[in-house]
Amino acid sequence: MISLQNISKKMGDFHLDNISLEIFDEEYFVLLGPTGAGKTVILEIISGMYKADSGNLWINNKNLTKAVPEARNIGFVYQDYMLFPNLDVKGNIIFPLTIKKTPPKIVEAKLVRMTELLNISGLLKRHPSTLSGGEQQRVALARALINEPEVLLLDEPLSALDPRSKEVFQQELKSIHDETKTTTIHITHDFNEAYLLADRIGIMERGQLIEVGSSEELFKRPKSPFVAEFLGMENIYQGQVLEDGNGTNILIGPVKINGLTNLKGRVNVAIRPEDIIISKENFPSSARNTLQGVIKAIVPQGIMVKLNLDIGIPLCAVLTKKSLDELGLGVGDQATAIFKSTAVHIF
Amino acid sequence: MKASNTIFKISIGLITFILFAFFLSTLGNIVWKGLGSILDSLNNEEILFAIRLSLLTSVTSTLICLFFALPVAYGLERYKFPGRKLIRVVLNIPLSLPPLVSGVALLLLFATTSFGAGLAAIGLNFIFSVNGIILAQFFIITPYMIRVLESTFRDINPRLEFVARTLGCSQWQAFSKITLPLAKNGIIGGLVISWSRAIGEFGCALMVAGATRMVTETLPVALFLNMSIGNLETAMAAATCLIIISIFSLFIFEVLGVEKKGVSRLY
Repeated sequence: MISLQNISKKMGDFHLDNISLEIFDEEYFVLLGPTGAGKTVILEIISGMYKADSGNLWINNKNLTKAVPEARNIGFVYQDYMLFPNLDVKGNIIFPLTIKKTPPKIVEAKLVRMTELLNISGLLKRHPSTLSGGEQQRVALARALINEPEVLLLDEPLSALDPRSKEVFQQELKSIHDETKTTTIHITHDFNEAYLLADRIGIMERGQLIEVGSSEELFKRPKSPFVAEFLGMENIYQGQVLEDGNGTNILIGPVKINGLTNLKGRVNVAIRPEDIIISKENFPSSARNTLQGVIKAIVPQGIMVKLNLDIGIPLCAVLTKKSLDELGLGVGDQATAIFKSTAVHIF
Repeated sequence: MKASNTIFKISIGLITFILFAFFLSTLGNIVWKGLGSILDSLNNEEILFAIRLSLLTSVTSTLICLFFALPVAYGLERYKFPGRKLIRVVLNIPLSLPPLVSGVALLLLFATTSFGAGLAAIGLNFIFSVNGIILAQFFIITPYMIRVLESTFRDINPRLEFVARTLGCSQWQAFSKITLPLAKNGIIGGLVISWSRAIGEFGCALMVAGATRMVTETLPVALFLNMSIGNLETAMAAATCLIIISIFSLFIFEVLGVEKKGVSRLY
């Protein structure tokens, strides 16, 4: 277990403010927050690159507040990988074992296991500069994991990857964690990533840890407007996939919504407010979802207006002030919400 | 408009050519004439002595210089501490000081203070001796070495060392297994530039070690002594040796691309 107790750190204008956080064994913990929130500083304090000004750091019942990095048994994977350019891929991966003077037989066995786990057996003789971003990321992860760290720290591991590699590697991170069970702290500003990977999420803003909880808890009951805003998607539901032939229908409370998914059983559903079209009357369109409701509230937001509808479940839509005026809709009026099945995110 | 552009380009070309021709003929002339006498001078005991002494002193001073410059450059680049700027300024002074002045300063310290007397008492005499040449060269070349090494270390991401430490390295292991190998080109470049400076060093060494034939006679001293007695052939042979050495070191420097590209373009 990792335990941060009242950790504070001042760096120039930035201030990490009294952070207390516990991360359990084998947990996949995601620190989520905008750039400059202080997520990386927390990792750097846990890893020993910086010492905290005050507070204590415990890892597995050892007080490591003042320990040197090499005494902490931590794996750190940087966003830009930081592979050693003077070593080839194999040299990079087995580096921590050479430092510990591990017998060659054990090194070989661990190397095989790591390269198979990360799918990089073919890269061993290559030089880091000839690898793609995704490949470098895997090598960096292998190098960290071969050392069997007590804690794995991942600094925005997916942000530098193209969307395709990102999706693949995201799945792999999950299965690697399932296999190695290494306690992991993963930093990101992408809440989809957090939602998919995290056992629990901690949300950070301006040097403060605002809220910690499982993704469901956070999405359902954000404790502060910042959390709600940062999580962005206002229309988040839990539903049940129904297989009744017609595409895929998902039952959310009393409402049936049409979306596209291969998932079965209980799912989460999210619809971005911008993806919803509002009209006065029902009209035929190619969109698969047409739902009647009553306008509960109209909240102006600059040139946009937020419309809170009740369609059996609460639904939020965003449109311009001008189109709302032209529709002539007000609170209490009947309105129709229309959205495509591709606008329904199911996870 | 077009005509004026053409004139502009031609002017630049012409001026470049004039300068190039001037430099080339100056150097070419002496190398051409010196090459003729260099074979003869290899039988000349005085030139052979000068070559041997120059190699001995320059290699020694360069190695001592590396021993000091490596940790100092690393410390100045990696650690932010009060007084860092002051240290850097002081260590750079010999760069802008006329070598003769540096020489006088060394002479005064080692000849007139109890510090110098103490060193002499334990057998380390620098005044008018070969040790003095090494000392003078060391004083002149160390700032160059520090500069090259500082820029080398600046180009190596400190986070590489940090990652190495999370993987179990002590500070020394991280330095010796990661940073040092990455600094290899910079170190070679620093060695070459310092060594070629050392071998050409004259003014400072002259003040400390004097110019005694067959005693403290390095290549530049041989050039100076033979020139002053009108022995042009031997003087030119010494000059040619020096020119060959500088062309060689310039070539190595260009090949390694030190400072221009940094040590590693990727990191």
